[in-house]
Amino acid sequence: MINRRHFLTTVAVGTASAAALAACGTGSSTAGQTGSAENPVTINYTWWGNDDRAERTRKAIALFESKNPDIKVNGNFTDFAGYWQKRATEAAGGGLPDVMQWDLSYLRDYGQRNQLLDLSTVNINTDAFEKSLLPSGQIKGKTYGIPTSTNAFAVYYDPAKLAGLGIAEPTGKWTYKEFNEFLTEVGTKSSGALFGSTDYTGVWWMFNIWLRQNNIEAFTEDGKLGFTKDDLKKWWNLPAGLRGTPAIVSEERVTQLAPKSPFGSNVTATEVTWDNFMAGYLADSGAKELKLVPVPSDDPDNLGLFLKPSMLMVASAKTKFKDAAARFIDFMVNDPEVGQIFKTSRGVPASKTQRDGTTFEGTDKLVVDYEKSIEQYLKDAPEPPIVGFGTLETSFKRVASDLNFGKLTVDGAADAWFKEAEDLIKQNA
Amino acid sequence: MTTMATPTQSSPDAQVLNYNPKSESAGAKRAKSTIFHVVALALTAVVLYPGLWMIASAFKPNAEIGGANTSLWSNNFSFDNFVTAMEGIGGVSTLQFFTNSLVLALGAVVGTILSASVSAYAFARIKFPGRSIFFGMMIATLLLPFHVVIIPQYIVFQQLGLVDTYVPLLIGKFLAADAFFVFLMVQFMRNLPGELDEAARIDGAGHVRIFTSIMLPLMKPALISTSIFSFIWSWNDFLGPLLYLNTPEKYPLPLALRLFVDQTQSSDYGAMIAMSVLALLPVLIFFLVFQRYIVEGVSTQGLKG
Repeated sequence: MINRRHFLTTVAVGTASAAALAACGTGSSTAGQTGSAENPVTINYTWWGNDDRAERTRKAIALFESKNPDIKVNGNFTDFAGYWQKRATEAAGGGLPDVMQWDLSYLRDYGQRNQLLDLSTVNINTDAFEKSLLPSGQIKGKTYGIPTSTNAFAVYYDPAKLAGLGIAEPTGKWTYKEFNEFLTEVGTKSSGALFGSTDYTGVWWMFNIWLRQNNIEAFTEDGKLGFTKDDLKKWWNLPAGLRGTPAIVSEERVTQLAPKSPFGSNVTATEVTWDNFMAGYLADSGAKELKLVPVPSDDPDNLGLFLKPSMLMVASAKTKFKDAAARFIDFMVNDPEVGQIFKTSRGVPASKTQRDGTTFEGTDKLVVDYEKSIEQYLKDAPEPPIVGFGTLETSFKRVASDLNFGKLTVDGAADAWFKEAEDLIKQNA
Repeated sequence: MTTMATPTQSSPDAQVLNYNPKSESAGAKRAKSTIFHVVALALTAVVLYPGLWMIASAFKPNAEIGGANTSLWSNNFSFDNFVTAMEGIGGVSTLQFFTNSLVLALGAVVGTILSASVSAYAFARIKFPGRSIFFGMMIATLLLPFHVVIIPQYIVFQQLGLVDTYVPLLIGKFLAADAFFVFLMVQFMRNLPGELDEAARIDGAGHVRIFTSIMLPLMKPALISTSIFSFIWSWNDFLGPLLYLNTPEKYPLPLALRLFVDQTQSSDYGAMIAMSVLALLPVLIFFLVFQRYIVEGVSTQGLKG
C-alpha cells in the first residue's frame, strides 16, 4: 500500500506544479486586419438565448454577409448562465470572441479589466440613439458597449382577472398607498384565490426607481452606496402591513412555483418587472392579454423611470479585426432590416432608424407603446452598475425574501444587507 | 434495476429469520406480507415520483408544467413536445446533438479502458523506480477540484489551437488522466493472485502477454464498472463541452438541453423535458445492458482460489 509520508509530499508537489501552470498568460496583437470579397476575414460572434433568438440571429448574419462579402461571421450561442462561465474562462485565457452580445451587469467588470474594446475609437454611428441612453455603455469616458435595445420598468396586470373580480383597471397614476390598496383589494375580493403581487420591495430595480423618485442616488460616482440604512428601512416598511396577507404572495409559494414566476403561474394579478418579459409571461400563463402601466410614485411628476439597455454589443479588446467587428456592431444596432428580424425579442430597438424601420404588431406594439407613453418621464440611464453588482442584487432579493418569510425584521434585514454590501464594495475597491 | 429490489421477493430464508412460522397461522402470514408489500410499494412510489413527473410532463402542454400545476394527470396529453424537441435548435438537428454525445461518450469509454488498464498494470505489477511517487502524484490529481485546473488547461489547449475540437475533451481519457479509474483498477489488480503472473512468466510470457492474456480477462468486472461510469459521466458532462466547444453543430446534449430554458426570454419547459426523457434513454439502455456484468463481477469476486 501507499506510504503515508510519501503520499503527503507527492500530493503537495502535484498541487504546486498545477498552480504554477495557472500563472502562464498570453500577449496580444493589435493589428487591424481587413479582408476582401475573394479572401474574406472571419469574425466570431457569440450570444445567449433560445432557439428563437438563434433563428433570428442566423437570418441577421446571413443578411450582413450578403451586404459585406469581405466579412464572414461565425456565430455561436449558449444559455445565459453558461455564457458567463465561458466568457470568464476565455477572458482569463485571452480568447474572447471578436464580437459579443453583452449584459449591463457585466460591463464594468470586463471593461475595467481592459477586456473590451473602446468602441469610440472605431467607426460606429450612434446618431440615432437617445442621448440619455448612451452613458449606460460608458465607463470613465470610454464606450465599451452599444445598446441594441431598451427596456423600462412597469407594472404588469391581467385585465381578464381584474374584470372577473370586478376591479377597475389601474391607470398607472398612483401613489404607493394606492398601489398597496389595489393589491389588498385583489387579495380580498378573490378571497385569497388570487394574490395581489409578489413582494415588490424585494426587487432591486424597483428600489432603485423609488430612490430616483426621492432624488437619491443608488451609487455614488466612486462606487459607494448613495443611500442610507434609513432609506432602505423606509422602503422595506412600505408594504409592512401587507406581508402575510392575500395582498402579497408568500415566499413559500414563490419557491414552490420556481422556476416559473407567480404571475406566469396565474397566482398573482400583477407583477412589477421589466417590460421585455411580456412574451415569456404570455407563454407561461396562457393569458389572452396582459397590460402595462407605470410604477407608483408619490411624486406624480417624477416617476424615476429610465430606459435600460436590455443588452449591448461589445467587442474584444484583443480582436484582430477591429474594423470588421465595428461594421458588424453598427449593422446589428442600426440596420432597419435587422430590427424587422428581431422585432422586440431583444427589447425595443434602441436606434431610431431601426425602430422606425420595424413594424410592431400585437404584443410587440404593447411594449413599444408603453415605452412611448412614458417618454416624458424618462431621465438619464444610470451608469453601468458597480463591480459585483450581480451579487448585491441577489443578496437584496434573498434578504428581502427572509423578511417576507418573517425570519427577519425590517431593521434586521437592513442591517444584514448593509453589512454584505459594504463588505463586497470594500473587497472590490 | 429489478434485481436490486430483492426485499420485495420475500425469500423463504428471510421469513425464517423474521418469525417462527409454526406459531403463526397462514392468515397472519398473508397479512404481514400484504402490509410489507403495501409499504414497499408506497416507498417506491415516493422514490419514483420525480421520474414519473418528468415522463408525464413530457407529454403536457407548456402552460401546465410546473408553477401552480402539481398534478401528474393532464387532459391535454400530446406528443407535441417531442416534435418540438426533435426539430432541433438554431438549425442544428437533435439527432446531431445525440450523435455528438454518443461520439464523446464512446470515445471516453474506449480511451479510459485502454489507458487506465495499462497504467494500472504498471502501478500494480511492475516495480520501477519512483513508482510510489508517481502513484502519489496520480492520487493527488484526485484531490484537485476540476475548477482549479480549468483556466490553465484552457490556456494550454487554446495556445495549441485545439479549442472547438473534441481533442481537449477526449485526450485526457486516452492519457489515463482520470485517476479515479486507474486507482480503481490498481486496487482490483492487487487483489488478483500474483501466482498467476509468476506462472505465466515461467512459461515465458512478457508483460504484454501477461497483460492481454491473464490480466484483462480477469479484470472484466472492473472494466465494466469503468465503462459504465465513464459513459455516464461523459454523457452528462456540461462544463467541459461548454468551455471547449464553440460551434453549435458540435454541441452534445447537455448544452442543447439548456437552450430550451432562457431566463431572459420565454422558456419551453415541455420541449426541454421531452428531450431530457430522450437523453436518458441511452444511459438507461447502457446501464441495463451492462448491469448484469456488474452483478456477475460482484459474485465472481467472492470466489477466490
